Amino acid sequence: MAVLSLAAILSFSCRLFSVLRFESVIHEFDPYFNYRTTKFLAEEGFYNFHNWFDDRAWYPLGRIIGGTIYPGLMVTSAAIYHILNLVNITIDVRNVCVFLAPLFSSLTTLVTYHLAKELKGPGAGLVAAVMIAIVPGYISRSVAGSYDNEGIAIFCMLLTYYMWIKAVKTGTLFWSTMASLAYFYMVSSWGGYVFLINIIPLHVLTLMITGRFSHRVYVAYSTLYVIGTILSMQISFVGFQPVSTSEHMGAFGVFGLCQIHAFVDYVRSRLNKIQFEVLFRAVISTVAVTGILVLVVLTAMGKIAPWTGRFYSLLDPSYAKNNIPIIASVSEHQPTAWSSFYFDLQMLTFMFPVGLYFCFTKLTDENIFIILYGVLSIYFAGVMVRLMLVLAPVMCILSGIAVSSMLSTYMKQIDDVKTEKKKAKFEGNYFMRSEIATFFVCVMSVFLVMYTLHCTWVTSEAYSSPSIVLSARGHDGSRIIFDDFREAYYWLRHNTPEDAKVMSWWDYGYQITAMANRTILVDNNTWNNTHISRVGQAMASTEDKAYEIMRELDVDYVLVIFGGLTGYSSDDINKFLWMVRIGGSTEKGGHIKEHDYYTPAGEFRVDKEGSPTLLNCLMYKMCYYRFGQVYTEGG
Amino acid sequence: MEVIVKVLVTLLVVAAGAAAATYDSINRDVINKKVDRKLDISSQLLKITNKITLENGGSGAVRSFLLAFTRQEKENLSYLNAQSGGTVLKFGEARVQEHRDIEFYKVELKDALQPGKTVNVEVEIIMTQLLEPYPATIQQGEKQLVRYAGNHYVLSPYTTTTQTTTVTLPSPNIESYSRLKPTTHTDTSITYGPYDGVAGFSEDPMNIHFENNSPFLAVTKLERVIEVSHWGNIAVEETIDVLHIGAKLKGPFSRYDYQREHNSYSSIKSFKTIMPASAKDVYYRDEIGNISTSHMRVQDDAVELDLRPRFPLFGGWKTHYKIGYNVPSYEYLYSSGDHYILKMRILDHVFDDFAVDELVVKIILPEGVRNIVLETPYPVERLPDTLHFTYLDTVGRPVVSVTKRNLVESHIQDFTLHYQFPSILMLQEPLLVVIAFFILFITVIIYVRLDLTLSKDDATEAKMRVSSYCEQVHTHHDKRARLYEKLEEELQKLKSSKDVAQSQTATKKIQATIRDETQAIADIGAKIRADSAEYAEKVLELQKLDKILRDSVLQQLTNVEKLVAGKMSKQQYMDADAPLHKKKEEALEKIKSILGNI
Repeated sequence: MAVLSLAAILSFSCRLFSVLRFESVIHEFDPYFNYRTTKFLAEEGFYNFHNWFDDRAWYPLGRIIGGTIYPGLMVTSAAIYHILNLVNITIDVRNVCVFLAPLFSSLTTLVTYHLAKELKGPGAGLVAAVMIAIVPGYISRSVAGSYDNEGIAIFCMLLTYYMWIKAVKTGTLFWSTMASLAYFYMVSSWGGYVFLINIIPLHVLTLMITGRFSHRVYVAYSTLYVIGTILSMQISFVGFQPVSTSEHMGAFGVFGLCQIHAFVDYVRSRLNKIQFEVLFRAVISTVAVTGILVLVVLTAMGKIAPWTGRFYSLLDPSYAKNNIPIIASVSEHQPTAWSSFYFDLQMLTFMFPVGLYFCFTKLTDENIFIILYGVLSIYFAGVMVRLMLVLAPVMCILSGIAVSSMLSTYMKQIDDVKTEKKKAKFEGNYFMRSEIATFFVCVMSVFLVMYTLHCTWVTSEAYSSPSIVLSARGHDGSRIIFDDFREAYYWLRHNTPEDAKVMSWWDYGYQITAMANRTILVDNNTWNNTHISRVGQAMASTEDKAYEIMRELDVDYVLVIFGGLTGYSSDDINKFLWMVRIGGSTEKGGHIKEHDYYTPAGEFRVDKEGSPTLLNCLMYKMCYYRFGQVYTEGG
Repeated sequence: MEVIVKVLVTLLVVAAGAAAATYDSINRDVINKKVDRKLDISSQLLKITNKITLENGGSGAVRSFLLAFTRQEKENLSYLNAQSGGTVLKFGEARVQEHRDIEFYKVELKDALQPGKTVNVEVEIIMTQLLEPYPATIQQGEKQLVRYAGNHYVLSPYTTTTQTTTVTLPSPNIESYSRLKPTTHTDTSITYGPYDGVAGFSEDPMNIHFENNSPFLAVTKLERVIEVSHWGNIAVEETIDVLHIGAKLKGPFSRYDYQREHNSYSSIKSFKTIMPASAKDVYYRDEIGNISTSHMRVQDDAVELDLRPRFPLFGGWKTHYKIGYNVPSYEYLYSSGDHYILKMRILDHVFDDFAVDELVVKIILPEGVRNIVLETPYPVERLPDTLHFTYLDTVGRPVVSVTKRNLVESHIQDFTLHYQFPSILMLQEPLLVVIAFFILFITVIIYVRLDLTLSKDDATEAKMRVSSYCEQVHTHHDKRARLYEKLEEELQKLKSSKDVAQSQTATKKIQATIRDETQAIADIGAKIRADSAEYAEKVLELQKLDKILRDSVLQQLTNVEKLVAGKMSKQQYMDADAPLHKKKEEALEKIKSILGNI
């Protein structure tokens, strides 16, 4: 108990590095949108929020915010805000938002403890809880200020798993209903719920194949699917997707199978063996054939939407690169590098297979679940960097199981030796048992200590910078803070007309609407490819053509980020090739061809040998305007 | 009700109007014997200091005199102060029938001026926004030129015998200036006069067009919130909107030129705010977070904050920020019993030569404060009191708000706020916390103890009963085990001391208690049988094993006694003892395993 509460506090406090280093600000890009919507929700109430048509974004199209977001995060923080203010604890929305992710990660540690306890025992639970409290892969998305859906979604996901495992174990309606409520919360907070609604049916399917299907599983899954689906359809962004898209069809199919399986079991208990065999074959074949036929026909008729691009890219990593540049251009959607596995998980990478081994040695219904979860998520994490987040908890759970199993095995050896010294002499088959056990426990502790050190280091160095404020070391070792982003946004906020339209690349969209409070053309919700492409064309065209496009789009200001002077590498020139690619990917951008922007030697150069198309485009002109007169450190 | 109030208000307004409508007349007896005027236009403000020597040329005593302003001057008049010989003179607005276009202030002299006597009066006037940038828009590298249009003569209702005007300029760069002889120009000042025998209300347009790159920064709105806590802290937060009111920026802004060439003369990069010396926990931020470009210097008499807005301010640009700090309350809050006095600045320094268009001061007092009386050094408009809710509040904290327009540095003066606060209310907040936790714990306690199940679950009940019985069995058994250990000890003692009699009395006693314990376990076993036969069997088995154990121990005891008494040889004893010992060990082992199961 004490260890657990300590772990929860630890997980909260180690995420506050960024607040201490910098200040209590919202980080990154998406959180700014979430912050803005939360503020709106807190001030205007849910009904207005639900009907909110945002004319500040996607000028001139606008965006229906209420129907195009997962409101779980905003509702959660607005609820916290209102409750706190009800008891006269005056805290502003921003601080609620900043500290929401750490709060939820400490809740996650609690849930992880319970989950691992269900799987293995309290020992494993504690180890897993402590591990998840500091695992960098999770911290990266849940530091204070990183106010994003993932922050609470991981909590919801683990909560659903816990409830699900409870439901499978007990087979009661209570737990399965709780599981569907947790699932509803998950659906309301993150698009990643699709992972959940696929892995649970998969678990059921595996149980069926391995012959472990029972009434408990039947009750649990049927309840979860029915209630969960109905609830999830209440989220307006999800709408009818659970019954109309391919991603959800698996769950539906398994639901059907469940009924058939249960029915077959019932029939089998009533018929003799031979009759049953005949019936079974006939029914199975007809059902399978009709099922597949119906599915194909419906897909062909367009009743069931095919998989979206992001899901294709999950199954086929090269899909996005070839077809949809806008998905590929997001660094989060890139395949994960091996090093980042180690960086984010450290020793968990090695403990993971060990945990799998322990799960296999004692196969139970719930162990099968965690094995499935582990194996699937490690695949997905390999495909997309972002999904490292889904992997981190299961890594912790499995490693927790591994560490606690191994330690308890070896600790017993040490203990035994102490009490039964006399007997040890006669048991020659274990040579130096106590010494080896002690050595092993020491090595394990060293591993754990190293893990802690690594996590602390990663957290403080890599994941605690808000990216809106940059810091660097000056010549004399003092810290220099670059606050140029906010300088620009704040200037826009106070010194441009209220209705000014700002054109920038979509990365900065959310930040401009939130901080500068000005209308923007495109933002991080990349729902309209052609519109983004139009902006890309404007950036990549020559000045006179760009002017025409900008007149067409009614642009007043253009914002570009140029890091040439300070050596900030992720500026707009760095992203420029994506603008070219995305700009050229639609009809209107036919004149933009990627190879025009390379030198004849095929390089992307921005100096005087660069291709003339590049040197005359709007983006280049804006970034390098009079840059030649500046002397940088490089000379 | 509301109607009545409205009527009353209207009546009051009419009455006030009627009172103001009483006209003053110009006393022809008063003569300005000498007027020495200093015009300071080196900053964005127009600071005028008039040293007037008044003479009573008539026969009756003079009690007051009039100061005259043009209508425009009156609109921009921010601060007016008149003093004579170190004492501040009272003044009020006045009107003169014949001169409707001129605004007057009537200054009461300290002592009536007797005929033929003179008195020296020093009048200090500060006006804002009378310096007009000309040209109104400039480019980034250009210097800011301003124009001042005034009067060569001091506007006065009285005849002036002799007067001089000295104009102080920020730099020697002057585009042009009007000349009314005698006029001399040296470096950064222009001197007009002396002019002799100037009649009352004489005007002659003065024009000076000069370079002025001092910050033309107006605080368009300043909201100062003072939150008083009786726990020893006063938190001050100022929300400030500033606007650069100098010549507007024409054309583009080039960061490159700005940083390399330092030619943006009129732009404002940073300014200094001076805060009280005891200020701590200073913060400087705006809607989007902390502004990381500021420096704080703690000096002996003040804390100096070098504020740098997020971006340099050019003409027409504005920004908005908040600064806040805490000061200890003992420096500003005085008390005598339940009566408290808060004495603080109504306005604090923002930057040098600042001008505030609109000031709102809100004073948040602790909960339960009564009888609030506010005294201000100059008239301000009192806004209706409101309530503020924050941590641990129940009825809300009273908020006193006042507002005033057009203020300058000279308005930095103290207000005094009297109020009553029963010190018992200090306990309210800690009590609230205590009660909240108390209720929380009580609820938890009640919840844990409460049995909310609708139907009795016999199986679980029985299980729980059995487990509590088992626990009792454990305790009893533990006691018994200890007694056996004692018995063994006695045995060993007997071996060495060979005192049979004493040993027998001791062992008898121990045996008796062992019997009691065994009986107790047997009783519990009977009780368990009602709920769980399985556990009862186990207890029975335990008892059986115990009997074996006891028998073997007692046998050992008699053997030892025999040995001591010499009825048994050593060898015999050893032979008899070995199987007993083994038996005992076996029984103990079995008991252990059974206990583990119970």
